[in-house]
Amino acid sequence: MTAEQHGTANTTTAMTTDDPIIEIRNAAVTYDGGETFVLDHVSASIERGEILGIVGESGSGKSMFADSLLDAIPDPGRLSGEILYHRDDGTTVDVLELSDDELREFRWEEVSMVFQGAMSSFNPTMKIGGHFKETLKAHDADVSAGMEFGRELLSDLYLDPERVLDSYPHELSGGMQQRALIALALILEPEVLVMDEPTAALDLLMQRSILTLLEDLQEKYDLTMVFITHDLPLVAELADRMAVMYAFQLIEVADREQLIGNSGHPYTRALLNATPDVEAPLEEMRPIEGQSPAPINVPPGCSFAPRCPLATEECRVEDPAFTRLDSGHAVACHHAEDAREEIALHFDRHEDSIPASGGDEQ
Amino acid sequence: MSNYYVRRTARVFATIFAVATLTFGLIRLLPGGPFTQLRAQLLRQGVPASEVDARIANLQNINPNAPLWQQYLDYMSSVAQGNFGESISLGEPVALIIAEAVPWTVFVVLVSTILMFAFGIFLGSLQAYWEGSRFDKAFSGLSIALMSIPFYVVAVISLYVFAYQWGWLPTAGTVGASVEKELSIPFLLSALEHSILPIFSYTLGGIGGQALAMRGNSIQVLGNDYVRVARLRGLADRRIATRYVARNAILPMYTGFLLLLGFRLSGTVILEQIFSYTGLGYYMFAALKANDYPLMMATFLVITVALIVGVYIADLTYSKIDPRISAGGSDEAY
Repeated sequence: MTAEQHGTANTTTAMTTDDPIIEIRNAAVTYDGGETFVLDHVSASIERGEILGIVGESGSGKSMFADSLLDAIPDPGRLSGEILYHRDDGTTVDVLELSDDELREFRWEEVSMVFQGAMSSFNPTMKIGGHFKETLKAHDADVSAGMEFGRELLSDLYLDPERVLDSYPHELSGGMQQRALIALALILEPEVLVMDEPTAALDLLMQRSILTLLEDLQEKYDLTMVFITHDLPLVAELADRMAVMYAFQLIEVADREQLIGNSGHPYTRALLNATPDVEAPLEEMRPIEGQSPAPINVPPGCSFAPRCPLATEECRVEDPAFTRLDSGHAVACHHAEDAREEIALHFDRHEDSIPASGGDEQ
Repeated sequence: MSNYYVRRTARVFATIFAVATLTFGLIRLLPGGPFTQLRAQLLRQGVPASEVDARIANLQNINPNAPLWQQYLDYMSSVAQGNFGESISLGEPVALIIAEAVPWTVFVVLVSTILMFAFGIFLGSLQAYWEGSRFDKAFSGLSIALMSIPFYVVAVISLYVFAYQWGWLPTAGTVGASVEKELSIPFLLSALEHSILPIFSYTLGGIGGQALAMRGNSIQVLGNDYVRVARLRGLADRRIATRYVARNAILPMYTGFLLLLGFRLSGTVILEQIFSYTGLGYYMFAALKANDYPLMMATFLVITVALIVGVYIADLTYSKIDPRISAGGSDEAY
């Protein structure tokens, strides 16, 4: 198996940031004792106070990446590697080394998470307010002060606090549940908010307004956000930095403008060209031929090689290392420079013409 | 909303009315007819032929020579007043016999059904938590085995072993013959002693089915996102087990519990026969054997009414315990 190769190739963290809050080193998730990996030795760092957008298609390991940040891989998955969390006071902990009690505190107090299905994230037989109270109690927080903060959060999200807290989940609309869930995730004032497809089940208008609200929240509470989605144009509006995942690995990380306008990986460029855009003529839309590999048959060498127009013998044999392309821009591709020339992007490269959210996979 | 409760309550009475009417009609369809049989029996007992019709009218609240509609009205109006006539075989008012029998049956059915659910829910949730473990597999097998053994087989075997062979428990009756029928400690102890075997055999087989149902429900609930989110939020395991898993897994079984209470009342016909336990089922069987129509009709009515009331309570209370269901509309339990 080539997994070990992948691992060593990717350990060289081409991307380090000035003041990282979380550093992921060689994180790998396996469900069969190391035969195959659904998160294949990924390294990345998340800058304090930034919004990092992670894009990938279904089954590319995005959720595994998100779950790793809280050491919350669903059983019986095994997570290895290092997840280093840098506290405000300068101390650093490896999340995977925490004891059960420490982990219980770490989650929600330091790093919190919003899942894709807001509708299924609340106990159907408990009022929303009950969820807030029990969370505060479980973390030995001051309940009345905490509930006051909860009301403020709900107001920030344009919800009527009293009404929402006194409602059962089924009495709220999908968008209201999603916003209530975001408020619940922030109730203990975490530093980092991880969002796994938080808008996937919502209509376009609701997606829009949630994005705006998230931006406001991020500014107001000085949050670090990790936003995971399959909807590239959506996250492109929000993120400071973006990362692209393909076949359980990160293949490209760059600032938003750089990644949209000047990406170096053939997959990223193809993905941008495949994004539906109302203004672009239909002929210009290019589907990516073939499909992404399952964990049991990730090809040796570059995992995108079988679908890549630029693939050479080198690509099929050797897995490209994650290397620095420009300042703050790293790519795992042997032909990054060529890709920029060979694969033209169909939309204008101006920052203001990032294609509108296509609303695929609603 | 209140409109719903009124309609739902009206339907209870409509159903009982229909059942009483059916009872009246069915009795009339029985081979030989109730009155031919009764007339022959009275004649055999030496009642003068001229008095027979009067005796029948007295026993059944029905004048056999009156037109059918008249008989029907007489029967219904006396049933509405709680007058079921006089038992032919026992020579006592039926209402009295039933009043004495019902508490025993209700006691056995209620206790055994509650025990059945308590054990079933407890074991089923353990199985769900340890899904796939040796305990889970072994107990699933045992549950299916228990479900397939009819309770009367358990009853006969336990009666033979515990009462006749080992002599630990009494073989028949509701209380010891020497115990005064009053509310005293010896009376309660004796009643308890006599009820152990009926309750045991009526409970054992049912545990398996409830455990499997609870296991399935719990596994489904455990797989829900909200349980995972609750764990990540750092809630204590005990709170997740009770407030999240148990509550959501038990809810669907609540209606089943109330329905089962009603259904199991009729199962006592066999159970009480085996243990000579003088409850409702015992008298129903006795009435069947003796062609005691007034008693038969009354026991049948009581059992049906119990079932109707069970469904009624389930309907009215389900919306109180499950916030997702609002009373009314098409969410009724049957």
